[in-house]
Order: sequence, then C-alpha cells, then structure tokens
Amino acid sequence: MLNPYRVLDLTTERGLLCGQILADLGADVIKIEPPGGSPARKLGPFYQDQEDAENSLYWWAYNRNKRGVTLDITRSEGQDILRRLAQGAKFLIESDNPGTLAKYGLSYDELAADNPGLIYVSITPFGQDGPKASYADSDLIILASSGPLVITGDEDRPPVRLSVPQGYLHASAAAAPAALIALYESHRSNRGQHIDISAQQAAAQATQSTILSAPLNDAETRRMAGGAKMGPLEIRLLWPAKDGNVSIAYLFGSAFAHFTKRLMDWIYEEGFCDKEVQQMDWVDMGGGLFGGDPKTLEDYERLKLIVEDFTKTKTKAELFQNALDRGLLVAPVTTIDEVVESKQLESRQYWTAVDHEEIGKAFAYPGPFAKFSEQPIAYKRRSPKIGEHNTEVYDELGLDAQALAELHGKGII
Amino acid sequence: MAEGQQTGSESNHALAGVKVLDFMWAMAGPGSTRILADYGATVVRIESTTRFDAVRMVGPFQNKQPGPNNSGLYNNMNTGKLPMTLNLSKPESREIIFDLVRWADVVTESFSPKAMREWGFDYESLTKIKPDIIMLSTCLMGQTGPHSHFAGFGNLAAAVSGFFDPTGWPDREPAGPFGAYTDYIAPWYNAAAVLAALEHKHQTGKGQHIDLAQAEASLHFLAPFLLDQTVNGRTQTRMGNRDMNFAPHGVYQSAGEDRWVAIGVETDDQWRALCETMNRPDLGSDERLATAKGRLANQDEIDKAIDAWSSQLGPHEAEEQLQAKNVPASAVETIHELYEDKQLQHREHFVDLDHPDFGKTTVEGTRFKFSRTPAQINPATPMLGRENQNVLENILGYNEEKITELVIAEVLE
Repeated sequence: MLNPYRVLDLTTERGLLCGQILADLGADVIKIEPPGGSPARKLGPFYQDQEDAENSLYWWAYNRNKRGVTLDITRSEGQDILRRLAQGAKFLIESDNPGTLAKYGLSYDELAADNPGLIYVSITPFGQDGPKASYADSDLIILASSGPLVITGDEDRPPVRLSVPQGYLHASAAAAPAALIALYESHRSNRGQHIDISAQQAAAQATQSTILSAPLNDAETRRMAGGAKMGPLEIRLLWPAKDGNVSIAYLFGSAFAHFTKRLMDWIYEEGFCDKEVQQMDWVDMGGGLFGGDPKTLEDYERLKLIVEDFTKTKTKAELFQNALDRGLLVAPVTTIDEVVESKQLESRQYWTAVDHEEIGKAFAYPGPFAKFSEQPIAYKRRSPKIGEHNTEVYDELGLDAQALAELHGKGII
Repeated sequence: MAEGQQTGSESNHALAGVKVLDFMWAMAGPGSTRILADYGATVVRIESTTRFDAVRMVGPFQNKQPGPNNSGLYNNMNTGKLPMTLNLSKPESREIIFDLVRWADVVTESFSPKAMREWGFDYESLTKIKPDIIMLSTCLMGQTGPHSHFAGFGNLAAAVSGFFDPTGWPDREPAGPFGAYTDYIAPWYNAAAVLAALEHKHQTGKGQHIDLAQAEASLHFLAPFLLDQTVNGRTQTRMGNRDMNFAPHGVYQSAGEDRWVAIGVETDDQWRALCETMNRPDLGSDERLATAKGRLANQDEIDKAIDAWSSQLGPHEAEEQLQAKNVPASAVETIHELYEDKQLQHREHFVDLDHPDFGKTTVEGTRFKFSRTPAQINPATPMLGRENQNVLENILGYNEEKITELVIAEVLE
C-alpha cells in the first residue's frame, strides 16, 4: 500500500519500530546506520548467545523488511549523500537528541528546501522542546515520567516495568499513524511537514487515562500486585489457577454484569457460593463499586475470596475453555513459550517464517499486525546486515563503483 | 450545531474530508479514531442509551462522580467525535446505519466477529451498498480461529498474549502490567491500518477489509522475547527492573513515603558520572564495574550502594543531581504529580473541555506535534447522544419531520 514511497530510517532503538510498520505496509525503507553498525545491534538477546552485531535479536525484531546502508552523517561527504537520498524520499524518520541533525545541516528546514514534500518524523524521549528535552534517557526514565511505572508492581516493593522495554515502542508505533496522517494531507497540499513525537506523551497512554485523575479531582491510582488501587477500590485482575494464573475482569455495572452473572452461575453450580450470592444485583452494584460505597467494597472483597477459592481448583485450560463456552471474562496468564504454542495463533497462521539464508535456517517471527484483504503484509526480507545494500542503494543514486570505493576508503560508508 | 460546523471539515485539517462511522468501544478501537478526529476526520460514534460504551462507567471521574458523561477515560478516547445513540433493534436504525455507510469512507467496529454478521453490517453486506468502503474489524483474537469469539477487555488480551508473565519480580507471582495493557498498544496499529487503507484507496480507488487482532498486533511489543523463544528456545520471564543489557538499572528508594527514583545507566560514562554524583570514587574506579558486563555480574552490590545514597534524597532532588551529570534518571512521578510535570505542561499535554455539569473537564491532547497542520481538539465533551440532531440533519440531510418521527419511534435511544 505504501509501495510508491521511500523511507529513510535514521533511528536508533528509540524509533526502529516506526520504519518497520511502514516497511510492512510496503514502503521501501532504507535503514541508515553509522559505519560499524547501529547501537541497537548491541542489544540482546543474541542468536545462540553469540554477541555479535549481526546476531542481535532486538535488531532482527525491528528491522525486518528494510534494506540497510551505512553512512557517516557526521562528515560532510556523508551529509551530501544523505541530502541526495532525501530528495528522493517521502519520509525521513530520526531519533537523535533535539538539534543533533541540525548540527549536521540535516534539519527539516534544510532538507525540505530541496524536497518540500518530505515528511520528517522526529522521535525523542521528551519531544523537541521543553525543560526535559535534553534529559539523559532510557526506557525506565520514560516510564517513570509518563505514569505507567508508578501504577505497576507489588505494593511492598518498588514500582516495576515490563521486562521488555516498552517506552520507545509506544513512541515509535505512535509515529506510524502520525506519518500517515501527514501523507494523507500531502496529497492535497503537495507538502510535507515536521512531526515531533514525544515518548513521554506516547507512553502516557499506558496509564489508561488515570493520568487525568488530578485535573478531574479524582483519587490517585496506586500499584498493587495483580491489579491496581483506584482510590478505595482494589481492582483485582490476577487470580490463581491450579497450574498458574488467570486474568479475570471481575467487575460490576451494566457493562460487566452479564459476564459476572455467568461466572457466578458457574461458581454456584459447583457449590462455591450460595444462592444469595449468586443472585446479587451485578448491574446495580456498579455504581457502588466505582463510586466507593463502603458496603459494596466490602461485598467485593468477600466475593473476591469466593472467586479465588473457585479458580484455584481449575486449570488455566479449563477456565479458558469455560470462558469460551460460557462467555466469561477469563483468560489464562500465558508464558512466552505458551504464546508461541497458541492454537489460535496457529490456526490464523500468525507465525511467519523469515529466511536467514546466511545461517541456513528460517525462524518464526511474530506475524503481520493485521490482515489486509487488498494487499496482505508480506515478510520479504530479514533485517539487513551492516551495509548489506550499500552497492544497490548507492548505485540507484548514481554513485559508481569507483566513487563507492573512495567513500569506503574514507570510512564514510 | 450549525451546518459546516460538524467538526473537522475545515480544510487546514490534515484529515479534512475523511468520514468515519465508528462502532468501536472501550479503548483499543476508540483510541485510534480519537487520533483521526484530532487531525480533522469526521467521526460518527454509534452507541445506544441502553448499551452505551462500557468505559463511560470506568474512572477516573470528574469530581469522583460516576456517570456516563463524567468518565475521563471515555472522554479521553472520544473527544472530537460526534456521539450518536441508536437503538439497533429498531428497523429504522438499520436505514440510518446504511445511510451513514453510504456517507462514510471508513467503517470501524470492535465487536466479536459474529455480531456484525447478525446485524447484517458485515463487510460483504456493506460492500453491496458502498463498494469502496474501508472496514476495520478489530477484536481481541481476530475474525477467525477457535478463540475468535472470545470477547472482553485488554487485560484479557494482555494475559493471553504474554504481557502478564514478564511483568513483576522473579521470586513472586507476576504483578502484570497496569490495567488493559494491549488496549494502549492497539490504537497505534488500528490507526496506521486505516490510514494505510485510505492511501491504498487514494492510489487505486478500492476499499478493503482489515482484520486486526489486538493480541496479534500487540505481540510486536514482546518481539525480542518471542524471538528468543522461537530462535533460541529460551523462555524469558520477569526480571524485576533489571535489564539484560544494562546495569545499574532499577527503581531505587527515595526519602518520603513510597517515593522512588528510576535510574537506567546505558554507558560506562554514565556509570562513572553516577559514582561521582554519589560521591563513591571507590566504585567509579573499581575495574570489576568498569563495563556493563562487570556491572551486570555485580548488581546486588551496586543496587545496595545506590539505595543507600538515593534514600537520603527526595526523588526530584536525585533526578536533578543525576541529570545535571547526564545520568538517565527520573523521579517516579505519582499519578497526581504528572499533572504538574513541567515537561507535560510545556507540551500542553492536558486540554480542558467544556462540560455542561461541571463547567470543565480535562483530557489529554494529541501525543505528537505537526509543524504545519497541528491537531485541533474540539472543546465539546462527547456527551452520550449529543450529536443525534447534527448527524441526521447536517450529515444525512434528513428533514425535521423525519427526525421527529425517529424521536417518537424511540429510534435514537
């Protein structure tokens, strides 16, 4: 769908996912790395634990479908080549600290002067301006300053993050629709623009809007293992099963009542609660639950114990099968190996083989993010090796073998 | 609202002229059409007064008062759209829906797969009245497969697709990410998918159907762990706040009750600057700790030293001292503190809406900045059914008599 467009991807691990989404959608994405390779290649885990720039699974995960070239944009010959590449590109994505590319004469204004249609996307920790714009950053810093961290974890330990860094993934995934909005607009105006993405603002989406509780004058949300405290309400999302855990949206009110009723019917059938409990008014209790009514909150605590006593006697698979059959809001807490073995993903042929011909193997990758009826996403190539497409791409730019050899000799590519 | 005011029709809006009929509910879907509305798409949001969107009754609430028009979460996901109520069990509703389909470029829905078929609003049926319609169907597990009819919220998709297990402490049960985690990822992908389909239609004139499973799109946020499984056969799980590549990396004790500072050191320079800030030259010059590898092997010792230092300082004080030396650090801001965050304030992250009952309420602004066609946030709170008259009169061109008949027949409920 994006086949007519070329994307220059200058990002580090802060922004790799954006270019990959555009590449999956068909764009010709050229990953531009410094000679010697992107710092993202140092991120593990590594193929067979062999630490090598070509073996980073982080790199493999977020550069599929891109071509790769090396270019030293800190030197003037490199900058000239980037300017020439930018003339033929629709998008440029970068994730350097604010002002870095401007220092090299590669700011939006400078590149747009030659290519007014260029859509230039900057992905940074805190955005291009403001008191924290030049902050030193890493994933935890984004999560600490945008909200998701403080509301996650056990209350008797420090707040905790998801063990796969998430902050920049939110920013770089957010950058994809932003770039495509600008594309839509450019058909009308024939002009591109500069898009400024802040990882802090993107990751704030993972607070489920509780970030609004101060201006709304509502109670503060706090962390709790397997759930969260919203004011006096202790929402529990994690329940023990015989062989692990399940998540249940065990709540009241019109949106949840019919699910909760069906669960309580099952619990009653199996003798874990009495008739009086089974027949409680699950619709009516919603107001009390979310409004902090002490009696309802007391009932909720009592009911949680009943549900726990029940779920403990069942396996994850039993609970999930009943969720499917009875229409319950119950799902197994699935470990990473179980995700890979999911029957649902298998039946949708989700896992997609990507050929690593240099190793002589194909590996199963997480599949297309959506199924498009017109132009299905195809995985055409694994992540590029360092400088893999230098000849191909620079040849398209009109640089002959001699010029390339010269640039290579100078360490520009 | 007068004609021409149906939001988003001004030509300086990036997505002016894009017309969306939105049946989605909760967060994963509406969060994506919110992005489109911010940039000028006209989004008609269908609910009913008896089965309105569940998150209208999920907090935070304005002034702690639960009510369908008071939810910060609902308003945050739906600001800028045209909320309309229809009783879909009335035959007249079907005619209105079909008229809206004729008007729309895009239809979006997030029901379980059989619901749209039962109403006769599935893609095949809609193409009969609008051959070039773009339809996004997004549910938890996808339109096909043994779990396709598993309905629910993002906490369930997060559990079943592996996000709970790698969140928390290795010596305990998983804490799980906060709330409905995959609901915070899916909006980026849903919006990108719709925009890609609009681009395809721009090129070819053709619409299409998009099947986007929330669980499948979200798995890209776990890709490094998933590849470690499929490539190396190793099952990764939660590791607290530790990182497989960097150390020290953690959330450390601050002075004050339940206060913390996040520190994520990614380079040897940052490590030496941290030691200098803590006045621990002994650690800074310790050969064992000079590289990430050495620090990863001695994390307990390092973490103890940091805690001893950080617990004497407030979280913001520690952030300031460390950032002054370019060490990635941030106070773990509480949910209420985020409203005062100087960077979010600078970026105008919070936007007030007019609210008829409270005078005002607050939502988050757009999460990115466009240089030429900035987002324009409609200041009207998306009250249930607020735009019934506007949609029927100005979008569908119904006359007053016809509208009155619909009101009397209780269709607009």
